[in-house]
Amino acid sequence: MIGIIAGSSYAISQVRGGFADGTIRNGPWTSGKSFGSADASALTRAKVALSGLLALPAKEAMYFTASVDSEGRPLEGRCRYALKGGALETRWWSLTLYDPKGYLVANTRNLYSAGSASILMNESMPPTWVVFVGPDNSVDTTNFIPTGGSKNFDLTLRTYHPAGALFATPGKVALPSITRESCV
Amino acid sequence: MMQRWIFPIVVGGLLCAGAYQATLIATPFALMRIAINRLSTSGAVNEFSHGKMATAANQPIVRPSPDLAYSNCVFDVSKGPVLIDIAPVPNHYWSVSIFDARTDVAAVRSDRDTGGKPARLALFGEGQTAPAGYEAVPLKHDRGIALIRILLANPKEFAGVDAIRRQSSCKAG
Repeated sequence: MIGIIAGSSYAISQVRGGFADGTIRNGPWTSGKSFGSADASALTRAKVALSGLLALPAKEAMYFTASVDSEGRPLEGRCRYALKGGALETRWWSLTLYDPKGYLVANTRNLYSAGSASILMNESMPPTWVVFVGPDNSVDTTNFIPTGGSKNFDLTLRTYHPAGALFATPGKVALPSITRESCV
Repeated sequence: MMQRWIFPIVVGGLLCAGAYQATLIATPFALMRIAINRLSTSGAVNEFSHGKMATAANQPIVRPSPDLAYSNCVFDVSKGPVLIDIAPVPNHYWSVSIFDARTDVAAVRSDRDTGGKPARLALFGEGQTAPAGYEAVPLKHDRGIALIRILLANPKEFAGVDAIRRQSSCKAG
């Protein structure tokens, strides 16, 4: 009986823990290429079922998640962050803010995401962009995602129809940096 | 003295390893069952339900995208094939994905795959066949979820997109 309890408990702790099985790391971002795939290991399948049920396979979409900034500090709702990036080899992308359990966070602006379909790009060559993430009362009016009342949060970068190096070597391409600018 | 403990230690280790693997294998089935129950609150099977855009107040599943309009069909092929017909939404990313009871993706078709034309999928189990005119999607488990995703660049597009997606169907064949 002790063996059964110990085995099940260890499995649950691994499923609830961070991605450790087939994980792709790129700066503050983590991802995997076997989501939704029959090739996924039992551990990966269980983790994805818990944190991202109904996720698509990599050919259709790749999901990158960050719960820390580019210096490795946990993302905090009381802080303002600048996410800076350039063109991504994908049909469209979006950034969405979730609480640590994976749910959208209520905020006074009713905004939950920003992405290639809606943000303003800088007029530089090659084009770049900045999305700010911070408390609801931040001065930002565009390219902004509010943190609501969250103590900590994480960000998911969705890339649909990834191509080129993004698809082939997602651990090595340039993904958005996450810089903490200030905290209140 | 030590020999007395070898057998219980080995048995305990084997039970521990078995319980570990069994828990990992059971987890996706259990979570998918919860998702199916949440999405089919009306008990409807083999028909699409068209959701509102995800907000903090409307999150039927974990980690929803607030940029996508979702429609879902809880399907059951135990009594025969299920036919999925997807009405294309012009100039928008859209896809239909078929998830089985283990959370594996049995098929994904998007506007890129169909060239903007309708997607027609026949889901079927063991001993069944797909009718002509449909792309065959064999399944290892009877139940699962078919999910339509449609990207909205602007929330104002919702009414127009909603009217088109309601032309899609999920029905017993």
